[in-house]
Amino acid sequence: MIKLANTKKPSKLSFTIKRLTDFMRRLLKNKKSALGLSIILFFVFLAVAAPFLTPYDARGVDPSEPLVPLSSPNVAPVWLRFLPTWLGGNPHLSENMRVVNNPGRPSLTELKLEWSGEGTISSYIDENKGFPLQAPTGFSKFTQKGSLVIAYSRKAEEPHNLTKVWLYAEFDWPYTGPPGRFIGNICILVNGTTKPDGKLDVPLKVKVYLGKVDEKLWTLWPNPTVFGLTNMPIGFKEDPSLRVYDPKTGLILARFPWGIDRPLSGWPDINGWIISRTSPESKAGSIDSESNSLVNEYTEFGKNSFPHRIIFTGPGKYAYGLELTFLDQDSVEKDVETKVFVDDFGLIIFGTSFGLLGTDHQGRDLFSQLIYGTRISLYIGILVSVLSVFIGLIVGLAAGYMGRFVDEILMRITDLLLVLPGLPLLIVLVAVLGAKLENLIILLGVLGWMGFARMVRSQVLSIKERPFVEAAKAIGAGRFHIIVHHVMPSVMSLVYISLATSVPGAITAEAALAWLGFYDPVRMSWGQMLHNVFESNAITNWWWVVPPGLFISLLAAAFILLGYALDEVLNPKLRLRR
Amino acid sequence: MGLRAYIAKRLVNSFVLVILIIMVNFAIFKMMPGDPTAFLMQAWSKEPPEVRRQQEQLLKQMWGLDQPFHIQLIKYIRNLLVMDFGVSIINKEPISHAIGWRIPYTLMLLGGSTAVSITLGVILGIFVIQRRGGLIDSVAVTGSLIIGSLPTFWLGLVFILIFYTTLRWFPIAGGHPIWMGNYPVPWSYNVQASTSTLNVSLSLNAIDAWRLVGGYLYHLFLPFLTLTVFSVGGWLLLTRAAMLETITEDYIVTARAKGLKEQTVLFKHALKNASLPIITSAALSFGFMLSGAIITETVFSYPGLGGWIWLAIQFLDYPSLMAIFYIIALCVVIANIVADLLYGVIDPRIRYG
Repeated sequence: MIKLANTKKPSKLSFTIKRLTDFMRRLLKNKKSALGLSIILFFVFLAVAAPFLTPYDARGVDPSEPLVPLSSPNVAPVWLRFLPTWLGGNPHLSENMRVVNNPGRPSLTELKLEWSGEGTISSYIDENKGFPLQAPTGFSKFTQKGSLVIAYSRKAEEPHNLTKVWLYAEFDWPYTGPPGRFIGNICILVNGTTKPDGKLDVPLKVKVYLGKVDEKLWTLWPNPTVFGLTNMPIGFKEDPSLRVYDPKTGLILARFPWGIDRPLSGWPDINGWIISRTSPESKAGSIDSESNSLVNEYTEFGKNSFPHRIIFTGPGKYAYGLELTFLDQDSVEKDVETKVFVDDFGLIIFGTSFGLLGTDHQGRDLFSQLIYGTRISLYIGILVSVLSVFIGLIVGLAAGYMGRFVDEILMRITDLLLVLPGLPLLIVLVAVLGAKLENLIILLGVLGWMGFARMVRSQVLSIKERPFVEAAKAIGAGRFHIIVHHVMPSVMSLVYISLATSVPGAITAEAALAWLGFYDPVRMSWGQMLHNVFESNAITNWWWVVPPGLFISLLAAAFILLGYALDEVLNPKLRLRR
Repeated sequence: MGLRAYIAKRLVNSFVLVILIIMVNFAIFKMMPGDPTAFLMQAWSKEPPEVRRQQEQLLKQMWGLDQPFHIQLIKYIRNLLVMDFGVSIINKEPISHAIGWRIPYTLMLLGGSTAVSITLGVILGIFVIQRRGGLIDSVAVTGSLIIGSLPTFWLGLVFILIFYTTLRWFPIAGGHPIWMGNYPVPWSYNVQASTSTLNVSLSLNAIDAWRLVGGYLYHLFLPFLTLTVFSVGGWLLLTRAAMLETITEDYIVTARAKGLKEQTVLFKHALKNASLPIITSAALSFGFMLSGAIITETVFSYPGLGGWIWLAIQFLDYPSLMAIFYIIALCVVIANIVADLLYGVIDPRIRYG
């Protein structure tokens, strides 16, 4: 027996690894595949790193405050402000701004306090008392226990009159243009000494204002209430002398709040708090430049106007504040006190530009949608290509190797599916079965294998006549064994190429279907982004139109380039001809 | 196997295919959820139950839905073979009529763009193959790959952005000039409406006729551009690949060695031998022409068959969809036969293969 002492047989694994690295080296030498692979890697990076690239979720919404839009709808990207106008830039764009950073616990570090009048004004922070519910939309991040107390007090027989207190935040508005919208909020609770009839000794008038310092300060709240539209804010008394009547029917069209004349108990009872909510269900007390436009007819803003466009006239110092008027006129002969608890006092200004790509028609971040859309496209593309190549491979092998009856049946089915109009059939099936992403993947896979099956079949037809297959048959190998071990390896190069080249079709098909309106409502894809462009008539927003389409085509082209390069690398015949 | 036997075999195969198509078509729509009778019975929902039952019975009788499955299928096949498609659910328009007046638009759009892109693609492909391996070659190949993988609707959107929103050169919707009013096509054969239509088309003077043609072309331009730009790259690649197969064959070397002109070598020797896959693809794409370009026609609201298919899908108008699927499949089968015949004519090897 011959002893092979020092010839070490290379293990199968190391051989495979060597072959693989060799293949990769050849693949990377090819410029097209290098380009394609690097684009695919870039998209894989985007898909994996999406949570680190953007703070918002896949639909472009802030996950901690899903109900609040990130900015006004259909706004431009931030960088457009710095672009020259001839390139489409707009120097009048503005950005988001939070006027009070911690509205959950108002303090005098952020707010300023001034007063004029006779009484004594003191202010302190009450650690325990605060608006008990979760703060209104837009402010929930900043909920913190406690409130700022502004107390008016006067000893008996001291001089008394009208005392005005201003609690306000000053901020710089650096932009030349107005914002797209603003939402303000305030919660107040009033308490104090009372007269025998239960009314406050010192009743109170409340006003929230916003405006340019040294110019006009506009009253935002409390609003007049409009018949059939809004209700008087709870806790406020009406001033009947200011009612507006319809001259024809005599109905009351608008009523104006006068002020607060009763103490309100508050904690733990939420009913005592007077709140201005920005939610649509209580339009009454909202400080919202958009929803106010309905009520504006009876305010100083005027009919059909947008307060944010009127108030913001240019760059400068602006103030958002609360004006309290203590009407100390009766109860001269006793010590009086009225305490006002102020909570959740803040203002959010939505600019007319946001983020890297602006927002969509619901004020959602387009950049996040774009980044997260990568996942969907990759998911669909790869799964569909695997599924269709798998079906095609099995059909092709079966038809090619079994021949005769099997071949005839399978090829007639293939022909049949090939002559049916693909896209219309797909749309009909999706319309009927529903546009769930998984449905789409199965449909695309089931309708997309025919071309590949034909290629495999013709390859198998020529392979099965080769001597090595005959040899395998001669030593008694089973049909399955021959197909798997002798025929399949020679069609594997076709498999690799087809895996790469059938991805783009799936990606664009998904995009086309989503664009037509068949999208998975839960998952935002690039196609759906483009659908939204059309839906909201925002085709002039090129920063919204161009990126998704560009990404679709880049990703699709990358896979095509890869397939093309694989073809060149795996078919040495083609290489020789260059 | 001679040419005749070859053709006969193809024809038999095609006929079997057509019957299969009809059956599958029938099966697909039979299996679809949603009963057209139930849909129409919604209008009767306020009537008493016995009246409703009567009405439903009537409807089913009218459509033959009360008959057994195989009778329905046989009737369906008979109707299809004589091109009787019934009426559309949407507006009770006879389907053959609805298809009839839209076909010219689709033929104009898709026929034109297919022809232009094939011609352009083949010429560019030959141009590129002469410079293979060079910069122009790789730029053309990469560019074609990228443009070919663009979503068509997005390409349309970008063209709208450029030519309509920015430049205002071309309209974005419709297929005919507005001043023509409500007559969508002068060649419409709808008799009721066409008394006036015919008058209009007959009374056109020369200037108006030119304006009419100009108006059609004006509306055709953007969808035409979209489709052409989208598909020209594919033809370039196909030509290039096919030519690459032949151009290194020995007979080309021989032809060159004989001192033939490069043009003769390219067109007579290389292109003729490389033309088989091009012809097959061309025949197939002309075959699929009637399915229109659903996406492109929807983007530009073009009144062709594609837009109509989309409308039918939205309303789940099964009769219309069945008809159009059948017609498209028929066209593709015919195109396949034509391609096979051309094969046989061009390549003698196939006849005896």
